[in-house]
Amino acid sequence: MNPTFSVEVVISNKPRARDPEGETIIRDLMHKSGFESVKEVRTGKLLSIKVEATDEADARNKVVAMCNDLRIYNPVAHSLNVRVRPEN
Amino acid sequence: MLVGDIETTLTPQEVEYARKQLGREPNALEWSMIDAEWSEHCSYKSSKPIIAQLPTKSPRVLLGPGYDSGVVDIGDGYVLTFHIESHNHPSAIDPYGGAATGIGGVVRDILCMGTTPIAFMDALKFGDITKSDHSKWIMKNVIRGIADYGNCIGVPTVAGEIEFDDCFERNCLVDVACLGLGRKDKLLLAEATHPGDSVILIGGSTGRDGIHGATFASRTLAADTEQERSAVQIPDPFTKKLIIEATLEASESGIVRGCKDLGGGGLTTGLSEIADKGATGLQVYLEEIPIREPDMSPIEIMISESQERMLLVVKQGQEDVLRDIMQKYGVAYARIAEVNATGIIAVTRFGKPIANLPTSFVANAPIIQRKARAPTAQRAGYEHEQPKNLEKVLLDLLCSPTISSKGWVFRQYDHEVGIRTVAKPGQADAAVLSLPNGKLAAIKVDGNALFCDLDPYVGGASVLAECCRNLVAVGAEPVALLDHCQFGDPNDKEIFWAFSMAVKGIADFARVISVPCIGGKVSFYNQDEVTGKAIKSSPVIAVVGLVEKLEHVTKMAFREGETVVVVGRTKREVDGSEYYRSMGARGRSPPSLDFDHEKRTQAGVLDCIRDGYVTACHDCAKGGLGVALAEMAIAGAKGASLDLRSVVADEMRDDELLFSESNSRFILTTNKPDHLVSRLTERGIPAAVAGTVGGSELHLILRDRELRCDLTTMQDAYLNSLQRILEPWQK
Amino acid sequence: MKVAVVQFPGSNCDRDTVHVLKNNLKLDAKLLWHNEFDGEYDAVVLPGGFSFGDHLRGGIIAAYSPATKAVRKMAEEGKPVLGICNGFQILIEAGLLPGALLRNTSLKFVCQWTNLQVEATDTAFTCAIEKGSKLRMPIAHNEGRFFADDELLDQLETDGRVVMKYVGDNPTGTSRGIVALSNEDGNVVGMMPHPERASDPALGGMDGIKVFESMLEWARC
Repeated sequence: MNPTFSVEVVISNKPRARDPEGETIIRDLMHKSGFESVKEVRTGKLLSIKVEATDEADARNKVVAMCNDLRIYNPVAHSLNVRVRPEN
Repeated sequence: MLVGDIETTLTPQEVEYARKQLGREPNALEWSMIDAEWSEHCSYKSSKPIIAQLPTKSPRVLLGPGYDSGVVDIGDGYVLTFHIESHNHPSAIDPYGGAATGIGGVVRDILCMGTTPIAFMDALKFGDITKSDHSKWIMKNVIRGIADYGNCIGVPTVAGEIEFDDCFERNCLVDVACLGLGRKDKLLLAEATHPGDSVILIGGSTGRDGIHGATFASRTLAADTEQERSAVQIPDPFTKKLIIEATLEASESGIVRGCKDLGGGGLTTGLSEIADKGATGLQVYLEEIPIREPDMSPIEIMISESQERMLLVVKQGQEDVLRDIMQKYGVAYARIAEVNATGIIAVTRFGKPIANLPTSFVANAPIIQRKARAPTAQRAGYEHEQPKNLEKVLLDLLCSPTISSKGWVFRQYDHEVGIRTVAKPGQADAAVLSLPNGKLAAIKVDGNALFCDLDPYVGGASVLAECCRNLVAVGAEPVALLDHCQFGDPNDKEIFWAFSMAVKGIADFARVISVPCIGGKVSFYNQDEVTGKAIKSSPVIAVVGLVEKLEHVTKMAFREGETVVVVGRTKREVDGSEYYRSMGARGRSPPSLDFDHEKRTQAGVLDCIRDGYVTACHDCAKGGLGVALAEMAIAGAKGASLDLRSVVADEMRDDELLFSESNSRFILTTNKPDHLVSRLTERGIPAAVAGTVGGSELHLILRDRELRCDLTTMQDAYLNSLQRILEPWQK
Repeated sequence: MKVAVVQFPGSNCDRDTVHVLKNNLKLDAKLLWHNEFDGEYDAVVLPGGFSFGDHLRGGIIAAYSPATKAVRKMAEEGKPVLGICNGFQILIEAGLLPGALLRNTSLKFVCQWTNLQVEATDTAFTCAIEKGSKLRMPIAHNEGRFFADDELLDQLETDGRVVMKYVGDNPTGTSRGIVALSNEDGNVVGMMPHPERASDPALGGMDGIKVFESMLEWARC
């Protein structure tokens, strides 16, 4: 039986694209409340996925393929950040 | 073609023309500016000679095409502005962002006239969502994009139209129209007229998103969308809301002489157009433009289409007043240019000149005379046996995405904000909004790709006719139209022919019905480069009309005990109908349109509404009599018992009578049937009593059979269809 | 009675609310930009909209505005404070009302008229309405699903702080159909439906007016 891996997927706007939500949070909430040392905020959506796979690379590949097939993110506008947690 | 090192969409003829006009070789920045402004999307170089046919004047029209929005005088010092935009190409690859920024774009055009946006309409065309997951994805995200943006800025989306057809599978159409309200004495024009005035750029910063957006819209979509990625635009309705508030306050203060939205072609088109309209020149200080990435090149800066930016032309000496207003709302601003009398747009960077072009040269692309050729392919008629079960045909049509209730869509749109929406989506044939002078504005948008595909001339005229009928049905007199012409590659002679004929049809009927065109858009290149498949000819028309008083507003619900009257003559015209579409057939030619008869019928029905004879009204269009009667029954949650043999009609089969889509027809309900029928027939308008409203089924007596459709079954088919298709798992 | 309607960056039902207060109720109502609101009024309404774009969470950024400090002071002084839709979210994020407002279960914005029942009438915005009355008012929001654990919900019901509930259809999945809450003293009320949109028969009904009429009556008591 294959082991289970925890994979964290973060979907956010592409690095070169604006992130209006992040901009509002840093400008209207953080800086206005005195947290001047914050330099940048970017927002995203987190999916915590548990997936059966042969190894870490397989887990990552499966999740990336699924995110592409099911259009969990739109590569035209978003970037995908995938982090596989080491097998326990 | 490649000019120097720059990839442009210019033709060799345009390159030659440019060199000749300038008397020298433009530099890379200048070529990019010319390319952006002369793109089809910004310049209308192919379409200007054709759209010049449209009538543009009437006593109520203050400003016609050629400005950011058309302007209509509605009396008592008030004006309405009206504009339509499309974001077809961006929406095909990023449906959420493309549709959202489409809303953002059209609202800027209303705003820069100094008027307040008060309503949106969306006209959308998608592939077959009953078969295609891709089209489902496109549709859901387009709707969400429009909803998120429109709702956030607080402008209600009150009406719309959605059509589904295979031809839109890879080339969806996303059109958004906006209605604005303002004071005549506060109207602004997008003109820099006074040397010495400052040009202030307000709103978002200029970045690399949206580069080549205008030229992107002026080519067909390539199979590999990697290249397309920089054309994506990030929606930011929060910033837009702040810009709306700030711009309206600035305009109220009297310090703004002109206002221009930055859309296709970015600063290049914005700056050159205001100078060209004002017959002035501009000194542009490139280093003053706030940029998002420090290493942006002058070309990138001048053609970027980053969203949420506007140009304000501020009276000399009033820049501080503007600064205070912008600071109040937290809107960024920068003085980037000065108006002068040179007739040149001169761009410098830290004092060093980097571009120098005559404004009228750059703002006016040479017209391309495209060739048109009528198609020679013959179309076959369609012969078929009448189905035995016409109840099933009716229910299938009520379920079909194009006809079914769009409740799933409009419940995602805040259609009540502004507290003006007297006739809400689903209640009547058009949206009706109250105005401050006691009158009401009615707006509707319509299209019919099936008709236009069969015959673009008759189809184009029919779309305008249907849109005006929808306004008349709510008690409004149509006042002005916007046309949005959407076609494939204009280099294709048959496509260009279809475009020319559609515009001619619209123009000819507009003249007969005295409804001028006050603006519009042309969107070409809606075709898939891989398959070569172009969309069906898709002119979309939006019309604005006026209802004199609240009592005239008429909705479509059946009410107990009232008499149903069918107005108009039904002909054997099932070709191009939704009924035929449901059978996979097309037919030969769309229903005919007798221009004068349509005009007379509309005028007659409007008079009857104004005189108080009509209690409910619905125009007969997609799905014919059968669907129209069902829709009125569903709206009122009341059945009816009707003898359709009394309907004025040519001799035909039962299915043809039910589903023919002949023009010039209405269904009315009334408490004074005799008065109503004689009023109409004495004006040469066919009208016949069909029966009475009551009961819980639609009972129709036809020539050869009786049709009985239970109300609950029809409601379920009509009201829940889209939900079932798009979100089968939701309860 | 001087009523303030606070406009935050991104509010969009502010002018509608002022219009109804001025034209339909003939009140001295004023629209105040959030930075210019000092709390020196007899009553305050936080209107619907998308303050700060609803970024991070609906109402959270506005909750930190100096205007909200002034609102808190008015609440402590026992003055009528009404939060409509986004205004309700702001009151919750500011700690003036309990619980949380989450995304609708349908995951979509919902704009439609709804059937409501008035559960508590000892509040500043329902004291002129009979308990158990059925009202019709429109909702228009993405995040209107009230959420609290069972213990808190029971407490709120026992204390009579649940002001209005859906009757019949619950279009957003809100707990126990709850759409309006009050604080302990009854002067602060948050409601998801829009009373300013139900103040004109031509627009669909007049039940919304009763909410504002209650505010006047409360002031008299």
